[in-house]
Parts: sequence; structure tokens; C-alpha cells
Amino acid sequence: MRLLTHNMLSSNIKGVANGFPLGIEVEKVIEKQVELSADFLRNLFPKIEWKALVDAARTMGYAELPEEVDSSMLDSNEFLTKFHHALLELHLEEGALVCPETGRRFPVTKGIPNMLLHEDEV
Amino acid sequence: MTTSVFPTCQLLHTCRPRPHLLHRTPGSTTSNRRQLTLAVTATTRAMEAERKNDGALKKGIAEFYDESSGMWEDIWGDHMHHGFYDPDSTVSVSDHRAAQIRMIDEALRFAGLSEDPTKGPKSVVDVGCGIGGSSRYLARKYEAKCQGITLSPVQAQRANALAAAQGLADKASFQVADALEQPFPDGQFDLVWSMESGEHMPDKAKFVNELVRVAAPGATIIIVTWCHRDLAPSEEALQPWEKELLNKICKSYYLPAWCSTVDYVKLLESLSLQDIKTADWSPYVAPFWPAVIRSALTWKDMTSLLRSVVELAGGGVGVWEWNRDEGHLYSFTVAGAGAPGFDLQVSGRWLPVPLILCSPFRKL
Repeated sequence: MRLLTHNMLSSNIKGVANGFPLGIEVEKVIEKQVELSADFLRNLFPKIEWKALVDAARTMGYAELPEEVDSSMLDSNEFLTKFHHALLELHLEEGALVCPETGRRFPVTKGIPNMLLHEDEV
Repeated sequence: MTTSVFPTCQLLHTCRPRPHLLHRTPGSTTSNRRQLTLAVTATTRAMEAERKNDGALKKGIAEFYDESSGMWEDIWGDHMHHGFYDPDSTVSVSDHRAAQIRMIDEALRFAGLSEDPTKGPKSVVDVGCGIGGSSRYLARKYEAKCQGITLSPVQAQRANALAAAQGLADKASFQVADALEQPFPDGQFDLVWSMESGEHMPDKAKFVNELVRVAAPGATIIIVTWCHRDLAPSEEALQPWEKELLNKICKSYYLPAWCSTVDYVKLLESLSLQDIKTADWSPYVAPFWPAVIRSALTWKDMTSLLRSVVELAGGGVGVWEWNRDEGHLYSFTVAGAGAPGFDLQVSGRWLPVPLILCSPFRKL
């Protein structure tokens, strides 16, 4: 599971006011290289919740992302490389995502989070 | 270390007095021929194992299209196939419909079918018809009688409804049926059409057999589908990394094992078809995907959906329950969130495909 995905996921358990961002419990992180596309990153940038990405990356062992950003940084290759790496190249293979309000764990197995809600959570 | 390569597609065509095949898949430039592939199931042993999975596959296909057709239609219209573009062009979502129609016309042209509607086919079968886009187009173009089959009851119903709404109910009709056991007598059709459905067929031999069986003498068969690259003479199978990547795609789209263009050609030759012609249309469909991705990224507001049932564990495909508020479009999505996403090579660039969907997602 990439952090791109994590940045979009939310706990929508019944009664939860704000299920984003999900906490991350790390058991196994792997890195998979993928070619950088600047256009792709620039298109995505406005949709990204930056603080959630920084915190998640740090949890995954990557602390190079700047805390504060603005769109002018998208012209910097150095920034794009870090953004790219955090967003797309770090994979949570084993672990869990955690609802920030209820503490409910969504297990992550072989890189796939199981977001299936139980009957009473819907 | 780079990642995956999308399989190349090959376009096959067989002419009079027999059908032809067309293939297409997105991605893959001619200069970079490292391609994704999945081992062809050549042995009986492999086929036995597959047979057990076929029931589950069929059900999965039917449900997948039951669930997603409405949403697809919202965004992409009634043609559920790739558009045909000039290579390396940049297209927007609004160009896609013309491109999808062009795909049909290019396929017909490749097959050598006449532009003259009076000389065209009079009876057509649309195998894996989706919501009937091709059938209705062919019915209008050639004033032909078209019959479509699909595994999805929702699609069949929608296809018939659209035909009725467009005054084509007498020319285009649709039913739920299995392409591996078509509910038609031998030799009924003079055009056998399979537009991007072949990739769902678990038994390619049976699939091709049925296409040929229902084709009349002198008929034309057109298949546009996704294939993996042809194996080199020294190869028995695809590379492990290719298999792995292709496997992920297969899981996401309810696809059984892929075969190559050459495999199709051999099947057709074994059935004594003539004028078999193939071509690789990868460059012409590659521009489709950036448009898809861009449409995902230009979501406007999204309201939270009602229930979503997501089955992600074990690499399975998400089964989504969609609900649409009036006036809101939901973006096309692929499979389940966080699935080991696949990487597409489009026009020489690698793009990871984000799997963005509704709940369990935050509002964008």
C-alpha cells in the first residue's frame, strides 16, 4: 500500500466524525522504485493532505519531506524526488491502519489494506 | 530497477472466408519491448486447474460489470473499450467517444469490410457486448441485425433499454449468455465481433471455437483483445517478474491467464480459417490511459457514498457498491484501494495507477 493510497483513505465507521488520517502500524515496509513523472506529481499535489503524508512517511522511516510546502516547490527536482519517493515508492506490506477515533484496526496484508466494515460499523 | 511493463497487444485479423482477430492493449512502445506476460496455459494440467476456477471467474465477471457499468457509462458513455488515437497524442476525456467509435471503424477497415452499408454484414453477433455500444453502432451503420451476449444481467438489461430508447429494438437485442457456449446455431452470423472481451475468456480454444462455429461460411471474425507478447523461440514462459505483474492486473480485472497473439493465430489456423491477419495497436490505444487518470484527478466535489462493501484482503478485487447523488459524477476507478497497484507504461512513461474510489475515502 502506497502512501498515496493512505492519503486518500478514511475510516467511515458509523458515528466517526473525522476518520482521517488513519494511523499506521508498521510491521514491514518495502521500497519499490518507479519512474518519476513530474506531471503526475504536479496534478496530484493539490489533492494531497500534506501533513498526513509527512507524518505517514516518518512512520514508515522516511523523514526527508519538508514540513511546510507550497506549489513553487514543484519546480524543484529535489523536492519532486522526495515527494515521489514518499508518495509512490514506500509500501506498507504488513501492518495495519488505525481509525483515529475508535482505534479500530484495518489490517494490511501483502500490501493490501482490508477496509471491510462489519455490519454494525456501517 | 524499473517496474512493470504493460503487455503489448497484437491485432489479429483473419479475412474471408474466415474471421479475423484483432488485439489491442495499451502501453508498450516498440523501442522498449520488455513486456509483461503471463504464462500461457498450454498444458492440460494447467487447464484442469483453471476449470475449477472458471465458475468463480464467471461470477466475478458478472458481478464486476453489474457493479461498475453504471458508473462507467456516466463517465465514458456506452462504449466499454479503448479509443483509437493518433500515437503520442494528448487527448482529453471529451475526445474519448470519437476515439472509441474510431476504434470500431478502424477494426472494420482492418478486416476489409466494406464502407458501403449495402455490402456490409447483415447479421452480427457481439460477443461480450457490454451495454451494447458496438452492436447499436453496427446496427445503424449496416442496417444489420445484431445480437449481443454478456455475462452481466445488468448490462444486458441496460443494453436493451438503450436500444429501445434509440429506436433500435428490432435491430439490436441482448441477452445473458456465455461466450464459451453461445446460444446460437452454427453458421448464423456474417460478422462475429469481439471487442475487448477475449481477455475475460478462460478457455481461449473454446472461445475461438465458438466464434468460428457461429460464423457463416465466408463470414468475418474480428477480435480486439489484450494479449501478452509472443514468446521467443527459446522461451517456454514469460519472465517471473512479468508473470507477477500481469497477475496483479488479472486479479484486478477478473482476467484469466493471458495468451499471445501467436496462440490465437494457431487456434484459428487449426480451425482452417483463412486470411488471418494480425497487428499490434498498442501505440494507438496508449493515449487512453492518461485521459482516464486525468479524469480521476479532476474530480469535483464528491459526497460520501452510502454503503461500500470492499473486499480487499488476499489481493481480491474490490466489490463496490456505488451510490450516486444526483448530478455528481464519480470517477472511474480500478480495483481496490491499496492493492499492489500496477504500473502502466503509456507512451514511454511509467505512471502508477492510483486506485481512487469512493468510501472508504476521504472527501476530495
